[in-house]
Amino acid sequence: MKRRTLSLTMALTMAASMGLSVMPAAAEEQEVKEFTAFHAVPGTEINDDNVCQDAIAALIGAKCKDTWLTGQTAEEAVGMIIASEEYPDFMTASTGHSMMMDAGAYIAIDEYWDNYPNIKNYLSESEWNKVRAEDGHIYIIPQFGIINGHDTSTVHNDEAFWIQTRVLKWAGYPDIVTLEDYFNVIEEYIEANPTMEDGTPNIGYTILCEDWRYFCLENAPFFLDGYPNDGCVIIDPETLEVIDYNTTETAKEYFAKLNEEFHKGIVDPESFTQTYDQYIAKLSTGRVLGMCDQHWDFQTGEEAIKQQGLDDCTYVPLGLVIEEGIEEHYHSASALDVSNGLGITIGCDDVEGALQFVNDLLSQEVQTLRFWGIEGVDYEVDENGLFYRTEEQRANATSTEYKVANRCDYSYFPQYEGMNLDGINAWSPDYQPTEFYESLSEDVKECLAAYGAETYVEMLNPSEENQPWFPMWSFSNNMTTETPGGMAWTNMAEVKHEYLPKVCMAEDFEAAWEEYLGVYNDRCDIEAFLGEIEEELHRRIAVASGETAE
Amino acid sequence: MSLTKKRHCMKRSKGDIAFTIANTLILTAFVVITLYPIINTVAISFNDGLDALRGGIYLWPRMFTLQNYSTVLAKDSLLTGAKITVLRTVLATVIHLSVTALLAYVLTQKDYIFAKHISFFYVVTMYVSGGLIPTFLVYKELGLTNSFWVYVIPGAVSAFNMLVMRTYMNGLPDSLQESAQLDGAGYLTIFVRIIAPLCKPVFATVALFIAVYQWNSWFDAMLYNRMKDEYTTLQYELMKLLSSVTNQGANAQTIKNSGNQVTPTSVRAAATVLTSLPIVCLYPFLQRYFIAGLTIGGVKE
Amino acid sequence: MAKRAKKTRQKQKITLKQIIKQKELILISIPFVIYGIIFYYVPLAGWVMAFQNYKPKYGLWESPFVGLQKFERLFSDPNFIKVIRNTLCMGIINLVLSFFFSILFAILLNEVRIRSAKKFVQTVSYLPHFLSWIIVTGIVHDVLSLENGIINQVLVALHILEKPINWFAYPKYFWWIVGFSNVWKETGWGSIIYLSAITSISPDLYEAAAMDGAGRLRKIWHITLPGIKPTIFILLLINIGNVLNAGFEVQYLLGNGLVQSVSQTIDIYVLKWGISQGDYSLGTAAGIFKSLVSIILIWLANSAAKAAGEERMF
Repeated sequence: MKRRTLSLTMALTMAASMGLSVMPAAAEEQEVKEFTAFHAVPGTEINDDNVCQDAIAALIGAKCKDTWLTGQTAEEAVGMIIASEEYPDFMTASTGHSMMMDAGAYIAIDEYWDNYPNIKNYLSESEWNKVRAEDGHIYIIPQFGIINGHDTSTVHNDEAFWIQTRVLKWAGYPDIVTLEDYFNVIEEYIEANPTMEDGTPNIGYTILCEDWRYFCLENAPFFLDGYPNDGCVIIDPETLEVIDYNTTETAKEYFAKLNEEFHKGIVDPESFTQTYDQYIAKLSTGRVLGMCDQHWDFQTGEEAIKQQGLDDCTYVPLGLVIEEGIEEHYHSASALDVSNGLGITIGCDDVEGALQFVNDLLSQEVQTLRFWGIEGVDYEVDENGLFYRTEEQRANATSTEYKVANRCDYSYFPQYEGMNLDGINAWSPDYQPTEFYESLSEDVKECLAAYGAETYVEMLNPSEENQPWFPMWSFSNNMTTETPGGMAWTNMAEVKHEYLPKVCMAEDFEAAWEEYLGVYNDRCDIEAFLGEIEEELHRRIAVASGETAE
Repeated sequence: MSLTKKRHCMKRSKGDIAFTIANTLILTAFVVITLYPIINTVAISFNDGLDALRGGIYLWPRMFTLQNYSTVLAKDSLLTGAKITVLRTVLATVIHLSVTALLAYVLTQKDYIFAKHISFFYVVTMYVSGGLIPTFLVYKELGLTNSFWVYVIPGAVSAFNMLVMRTYMNGLPDSLQESAQLDGAGYLTIFVRIIAPLCKPVFATVALFIAVYQWNSWFDAMLYNRMKDEYTTLQYELMKLLSSVTNQGANAQTIKNSGNQVTPTSVRAAATVLTSLPIVCLYPFLQRYFIAGLTIGGVKE
Repeated sequence: MAKRAKKTRQKQKITLKQIIKQKELILISIPFVIYGIIFYYVPLAGWVMAFQNYKPKYGLWESPFVGLQKFERLFSDPNFIKVIRNTLCMGIINLVLSFFFSILFAILLNEVRIRSAKKFVQTVSYLPHFLSWIIVTGIVHDVLSLENGIINQVLVALHILEKPINWFAYPKYFWWIVGFSNVWKETGWGSIIYLSAITSISPDLYEAAAMDGAGRLRKIWHITLPGIKPTIFILLLINIGNVLNAGFEVQYLLGNGLVQSVSQTIDIYVLKWGISQGDYSLGTAAGIFKSLVSIILIWLANSAAKAAGEERMF
């Protein structure tokens, strides 16, 4: 009862503060529609009587039960759903996307969307063109990377070479540009400080190679050459040439360096056999000076370091290149991933209702409920309209118990990132700059300041506008072994998994490198792979320039 | 005559003493080795997640917390899951055991002309499988999907358990059955009255196998009752929780906003302790049936 | 006195007379046959997938047929042969180790005279069965760790090793690491079945042997082992059929790039090349291959058991 009153009050407050967006039709006494969704990615299921979910339902008259991938691959789960013809109303198929499209299991959204302006205006015309299927229809709505206003990211979430602030401080905050510089600093530091204060030996550099996380070892060569994270290849923006980064001169130099440092004892001898858990455990002790990784991948380790009060052992990103003069492109503007998105399935009885639901979720009121929560409970507003959180609210936001019972972000439904429509607040607390500065330690502030930066992102070159094809990984992620290129892609991973560690550990680097090249060229049809990438590249360029896909 | 008394009077030989010492040493080592992972898991389950990441927790938590447990217990559907799990475990154990035992008994009849054929028919089922999708379609046709019965009806007759019980029954003396047959008793009567009571040790063993299997099952709940919350099981709920904390890193988007205090390792430890506890408690009740020396004695003629 | 009656099945001809005589047994059997057909044999219609390029959208009946292409795809890949070798070797190592340790443990435990100790040891022994592989392999990684793993520390302290070994970096250790991880997790659980078989041995036999002055080892050899022989044989037969099911979870969790040439099993291969690429047909083809091998193996083993006059499956 209490809850309903609360929601009603909220609905009224919000109706009063109606913003630019189209206000959802207020749900009076009508029945709340219940939809089902399956997202083929891991996620957290929330309670049935979740507070924010009910608040949203009270506002827009609909809710959706999200279920997530458990114990299967996305392809298995999606394959099962198609074979059994038991579709939920909404689906995010993830890597099973092409199977859903194949099966004709989605409803064409563009046939309905004139009535749902929030959906139609969610992307620009040219962006929608990228999403269009071969038959010209639009079946899915991308959920991520759609920026309203400007990107407020303060943390570089993606890949970089990371280094602890204590190393930089000790070395007097030198300019570190090349891989060479980076290892020099680490070597010098470790020579002067072989152990931490409590006597634990420092580890110079560690590499995670477990399963799909082996990008920490293998994909640095294209970054070192100054290219952005296309994931699977280098694409020369001038000549549009597609280049395999696995065998370039830079790749050889990079692995030679790792080999050299391995034998010097700077590279952790357990690098190539450690599990993800062991890697995080090592990082958590604060004894690892540096590594190459994506920030989200080692974030929990960094939290553990902070918890112990070892603030000078947290990391800042460095945009290394192989030799001076190359411009680095580690930080990219958030990219629209068109290979995936939310679709309405043919199992949905109420397509219009489902579209209305998505449409309403995009309104600012609901967006705020999704990502900030309930005003006065999950966040506060100051006199300037700026959202902030108390200590307790911050703690709640990290507690699973609290989130399961109270928060509902419908995270795999479309959302705006960047700024709220009020122009004051970021879309979610983690992107609110004021929230960010509060959490920054003195050591990090000092380090950032020494490099003339205020945020982690400013440690790197500012992102440029993305190329029309970016990112190519959204294509390679969906390659299957049915094509020769896809076969090659799977084989490449297989060979690299086995031979790159060998190359790094070899007594005779040259011979090991030759062996790697031999097996690589022998087992992988690189030409077929590059050919398929090139075809997709030109398709994307054509789509972006307004030509039809046909 | 009482041989037992006599044995106690006998002097124990040197060999016996040496054996006892060696045996004690071996089993002690074994206990230490197997107990370690258990205690370690319990210790981690009570330790702060972030702190546990550093490693170095062995037998005792370093930073005590109940947060892992409260995380595991946070979800409301856990209760439904627990109810269904108990129900399926009890029901399936009773049904599977009795049905499979009956088949095992039938197949021990030495002059039964189809015994060999049916044995072969079932042995093959251990090594063939139609695969996930065809099996799903069959269950769907039978109306077993989106229903509780999918936990109980498939697998009710298991070749493995049948063979285990058949082997045991084969070891029973023939004379028991023969004398009953002379009295005019039918097969079913003999099975219920005479054979079954003698099979307590093997029944206890097989019941344990079935119960543990049922208790730990989650894949069937996920596959056949994905959208049916009312038929969720305890283990499925925990699997959902674990996969949400474990694989969050697999997607940059999901981890961006998480900043969890709990970690997969610690939550998994807590979930393991919580779910193993009930089934482990069941053990002592069954144990007395299959530890020789704890029972009154072997099968007496 | 319970002499174990071995039930040799005489060859019975199927005649109308016999059928009428055994109608009660036949009536009881019929539901079991129907059940088996529905739940185990009808789904085998799915094997047709192995000869198709199965697509969920077409379903089982309308997917295009490709003949033996999927089988050719499997056997023309030199890697697949390696994968079969890995699976077979690990399957055999696991089989031997788990049999040896489970039986040994059951027998040793049976010799414990103090009841409470017996109960305690047994309860502890089967607990690891309830730990998931991810927990167990995590501990295995810690124990074998290069830097502070207890195994390396002990071996170095005993001067067996000069310096610690990175056990996971060398293919030659991998199968044994998997084998002993299995032993660690499943020995206690695996022994339960033998313990229950031991209960059926009449205590009188031990008494009689004691009268003859037999020591403990001789009693084990002449009474306990023969007493559980039928159980040992039947489990051996069952598991011989399973050598190709060496699993994938352990290998996946313990493996890494450096040892992938020995760590990949058939199941991992299928997952990598089949299911995770949406190719169900390849997985089905591999499944049929495994089934055929299993059935041939158990048929051979069963015939051998028959010739030796031991307990057999059918």
